[in-house]
Amino acid sequence: MAGVQLVGLTKHYKRGQEIIRALDGVTLDIAPGEFVAVIGRSGSGKTTMLDLLGLLLKPTAGSLVIDGVETTQLGDRQRAHMRARKVGFVFQEYNLLSGLTVFENVMLPQRYAPQARGDGEAGKKRALDLIERVGLTDRIKHRPSELSGGQMQRVAIARSMVNRPSLILLDEPTGAVDTETAQQLVDLLKLLNRQEGVTLVLVTHDLDIAGNATRHIRLKDGQVVSDEKVGEPVTV
Amino acid sequence: MELFRNIWRRKLRSTLTISGIVIGVFALTTMGALAENFNALIDGGVKYFGGSIQVGPPDGQAAALLPVSKIDEIRKVEGVEAAFAGYSFQAKPGGALVFSFGVPDTIVGADPDENNYSALKLTYAQGRFVSASSRGEVTLGSTISREFKKNVGDTIDLPVKPADAKPDFINHTFTVVGILNETKTAPDSFAYINLTDAQMLLGDSLPASFRGSIDTSQITEGISVYGKPGTSLSDLDKIADRINDQVPGVKALRPSDLVNAFKAGGQVFTAVAIAAAVLALVVGGLSVINTMFMAVSDRVREIGLKKAVGATTTNIMGEFLIEATLMGLIGGLIGYGLGVLLVVVRNTAFPAADGSTLFLITPTLTVLAIGFATVLGAGAGVFPAWRAARLDPVIALRND
Repeated sequence: MAGVQLVGLTKHYKRGQEIIRALDGVTLDIAPGEFVAVIGRSGSGKTTMLDLLGLLLKPTAGSLVIDGVETTQLGDRQRAHMRARKVGFVFQEYNLLSGLTVFENVMLPQRYAPQARGDGEAGKKRALDLIERVGLTDRIKHRPSELSGGQMQRVAIARSMVNRPSLILLDEPTGAVDTETAQQLVDLLKLLNRQEGVTLVLVTHDLDIAGNATRHIRLKDGQVVSDEKVGEPVTV
Repeated sequence: MELFRNIWRRKLRSTLTISGIVIGVFALTTMGALAENFNALIDGGVKYFGGSIQVGPPDGQAAALLPVSKIDEIRKVEGVEAAFAGYSFQAKPGGALVFSFGVPDTIVGADPDENNYSALKLTYAQGRFVSASSRGEVTLGSTISREFKKNVGDTIDLPVKPADAKPDFINHTFTVVGILNETKTAPDSFAYINLTDAQMLLGDSLPASFRGSIDTSQITEGISVYGKPGTSLSDLDKIADRINDQVPGVKALRPSDLVNAFKAGGQVFTAVAIAAAVLALVVGGLSVINTMFMAVSDRVREIGLKKAVGATTTNIMGEFLIEATLMGLIGGLIGYGLGVLLVVVRNTAFPAADGSTLFLITPTLTVLAIGFATVLGAGAGVFPAWRAARLDPVIALRND
């Protein structure tokens, strides 16, 4: 795993005559296996940075390299393939598909990443293993409406890892659950981080949750105002 | 399975949408079966009249009669291989006027040899064709035999005596010697008798004051003329022209004129029937478009998520297209099934009084009905699917 490099990464929007500098020349080097918390006030550029890292947005300028691949010149199709193979997402609102079971939700990313899934049995085995590791084996055939918030987020975490991505992006993953559940989820993420060596980038307002990360990046007005390492990343 | 679940997720909306397709395909199946039945009838006419030349009296002659001697004159015309006298009479004279897509029951006087030349070959479910020499024999078409419930060996009085028959009404008892296989065209309603018996019926049909004074063995109602087997339609037209030039007192109709008239009639009927059904289907298609747009609106976050986990524009478009196509296919299968059910019930449980069928389901119609519904579903899904595929994942993921 070669980590993530941002060099002068910029995203500007036009609103009428005004130019919004959502992210303004951010340069960072995120090592493989790091657990990075991105903090900052609303409008500081956290979500834009997450969308850029997730290849959901194209930068206005700068360079973004994920696992050695310069992504800014990729076309839509290549970006989609890169997302499928290299990036996992966990959202505040879980974003599980209500018509699918726990198992089917976890399997969903495999549908779009044939290279990652190997043969069908290996893919199923991977999904079952992850469901077991997030403690939901007994809920495997349940629909999201039959799960608690914490359980739904566990499903989302398992889903984010099923294709063995090198980078997982967490957008306020504990924002919709109580404090105790939030800590359980973070403990689970740390465990998976150690077990799989996956890089985690967590966007949060919650400083307690951010305290679990090994590196804190603070954004303000689209720029990095502090970058502090508070621990060692797991060995990959 | 996910596809079916997606469709079933909005039960009422999907049911209403599929119902729209069902109604359209039901209309297409039944109207199409009506048109196919009519076209089979037309095809028989095209086959028969496209392979022979019909010769009758010249324009302006009051009685539709010709001297039999004209047959010999016609046989001498270049290109003529055979010519046969022909007679036809109403099998049920004085019957109530009813609208029918079939041919009315008809007694046809024909030479048994004519079948060797006709493009429309008659085959037998039972028995044989009437012989030229025996008297009182009849070979029945499939529909007329069903109508009168006759089998070989039974007798039938022809023409059928009407309820209000005059005292001088005459009919004769014929013995059934053969039943024809179904042709889906005119011969199904024909009762074939030989020329001698036909001339007897011709005598019976004359006004009482003329009967006995006219030798009906010397007159015919029409003459069917054949070229050598395989003679083209244009060559038959040329033979018809030569008959008109060389044989006075007759008028030979050009086969191509008759064929074109038949085809034009069939095309108009088919166009009207199919247009009505297609209209119904288009309404069904519009409801698929509406439903798919609603589905896209309902599932914006789902689309955003799928894009986030790696779905390409093609993946998303394909998923929505398959869903729309599946709705079309389901609606098509149910609509076609209901249409076939109606046709079968109508043709078997409530047959027409004359035994004829009104509908005909053909493989072409089956493919057309189900295929059109499926293509319609797919076509109706294209724009909504394209819109879904073009959604910006960032906006879609945070959609409320």
